[in-house]
Amino acid sequence: MQISETKNDGLARAYAVTIPASEIDSRVNDEIKRIAPQVRMPGFRPGKVPANLVKKMHGEAIHADALQKAVRESVDKVMTENKLRPAMQPSVTLGESYEQGKDAEVTVELEVLPEIEAPELDGLKLEKLVVPVTDAQVDEALEKLAEQQKSFKKAAKTKKAAEGDQLIIDFVGKLDGVEFDGGKAEDAALEIGSGRFIPGFEEQLVGAKTGDEKTITVTFPEDYPAENLKGKEATFDITVKEVKVPSETKIDEEFATNLGLDSLDKLKELLKGQLEQETAGLTRTQMKRSLLDTLAAGHDFAVPPTMVDAEFQQIWAQLEQEAAREEDPEAAMKEIEAEKDDYKRIAERRVRLGLLLSEIGQKNGVEVSQQEMQMLMMQAAQQYRPEDRERFMEYVQNEPMAAAQLRAPLYEDKVVDFLFDKADVTEREVTKDELQAAIEAEEGAEAEAKPAKKKPAAKKKAAAKKADAEGDKAADEKPAAKKAPAKKAPAKKAAAKDEGDKKAPAKKAPAKKAAAKKAPAKKAKAD
Amino acid sequence: MAKAKEIDVRHYDVIVAPHITEKSTLLSENNAVIFKVSETATKPQIKEAVEALFDVKVTGVNTIVQKGKVKRWKGKPYKRVDVKKAIVTLAEGQSIDVTSGI
Repeated sequence: MQISETKNDGLARAYAVTIPASEIDSRVNDEIKRIAPQVRMPGFRPGKVPANLVKKMHGEAIHADALQKAVRESVDKVMTENKLRPAMQPSVTLGESYEQGKDAEVTVELEVLPEIEAPELDGLKLEKLVVPVTDAQVDEALEKLAEQQKSFKKAAKTKKAAEGDQLIIDFVGKLDGVEFDGGKAEDAALEIGSGRFIPGFEEQLVGAKTGDEKTITVTFPEDYPAENLKGKEATFDITVKEVKVPSETKIDEEFATNLGLDSLDKLKELLKGQLEQETAGLTRTQMKRSLLDTLAAGHDFAVPPTMVDAEFQQIWAQLEQEAAREEDPEAAMKEIEAEKDDYKRIAERRVRLGLLLSEIGQKNGVEVSQQEMQMLMMQAAQQYRPEDRERFMEYVQNEPMAAAQLRAPLYEDKVVDFLFDKADVTEREVTKDELQAAIEAEEGAEAEAKPAKKKPAAKKKAAAKKADAEGDKAADEKPAAKKAPAKKAPAKKAAAKDEGDKKAPAKKAPAKKAAAKKAPAKKAKAD
Repeated sequence: MAKAKEIDVRHYDVIVAPHITEKSTLLSENNAVIFKVSETATKPQIKEAVEALFDVKVTGVNTIVQKGKVKRWKGKPYKRVDVKKAIVTLAEGQSIDVTSGI
């Protein structure tokens, strides 16, 4: 097997490999010898078919197989001999003039991963913005909860309905004297002032008593969803069955027990936990972002163009979809078209950070365990119908590509966790708004190339818009990974979804939590 | 077969197919090949046909009629068709690639 390098340009490499005919032949013969004892053929006892007959029967297929194997092995050899780390699947082409019995000429083209020096991790400094949860906030949440649990008490017969009261009514809606679909209900509960019915409906019921029968006239709003009712005037025949007054829900021990908890303190604790979780996602987002920024600032190496391209295509497709959904698709298209370069830069940054993170992970032995993988798969399977779940699991198990895609986000998270552990973290208490602002500000900074053409006033909008886009991206990327169209190469493993993650903390929070909890435990063990 | 056009088509009616079995491959040691031939073919006809079709010299032809088995289907007996086989011995040094068919 002869290997010669034909191209060595930046990260792109190309090799010409010649596989001699004799080698392929010997492979074919070996294969025939191997399968001969199992061949069945009429007129022969099993396994007694002469080799030349076997060759005649299955020669073509075996030859194709052998050739493929030889090519694959040669590619592997190219990799190992030159110590290449391919960025993506190398493209292998067989010379066109090849036919059986001739030497096979194979050209291998690939892009290698850049040599990345594992960054110094010790000097990392991060600021953790913590949002403390105050008692006032907890109380507020508690009140909200109580509100939802509002109960109504039957009022005296003569009580006239007032704002805030609940009516139990039967009603029949008529349009020009004719009943229309969906305009009828019995025992409907209506809280006056809740604004759940069409405007004017509730107001006209103020002052109604139990047993009252009333006919009211209301006009459906112009933006009413039902086409045939839009803007029409309708009459409703209403029978008031009951008037109920709201009863105050007191926040006390009983209230907590009603909710299935031991005590009020427990409930408060729970609410506090929830609130903390809410901000914890944001905190993490902010930390991750600043970490990535530090990393990105400290490293600048050439990244394989194909990887950037692939990432960019993904972003682009996403944006196009979004643009198509907007009110004015063409204008939206134009806008993103104008910012194409910026998105390219974002793609490059993502790829670079992805490579960096995976490098750090490898150097430091961050791994995704089988158990975690299992959990991940379960989670991913949840979104399918039960009957499809098994198929999905099987698919993931059989497709290393799909598994890699599932693993990627978790792996990235773990690496980030690892870095958090390593870094000097200084805590600072801030309010939620400040935290939000910090994230947005950094977003603006990250897109520094971007606002150049935007006026400062428009900057915020741009940031917000971008954030939005990125949020969607995260949401999008996740299902994409789940469906696993096998688009991403495994090398992209931790392909940067950094920005994406950031804007969807709420969505990802549970997964993140789980990972976060586990990772330190694992690390502790490792230490 | 490039020469096929010049060959008399009646020869194709004589020779039906090569008979490829474990036993027939063993016979190749004796420079013989086995064909399934037409029920009505005679040894001289077989010899002529093989010589014409494969461009070889035939030194001898032996024939066998392998009787079809009597089988039953829904209790009713019937008979499978008989097959006439010809063991054709070729002159020294000559061979036929039977696997390529006729």
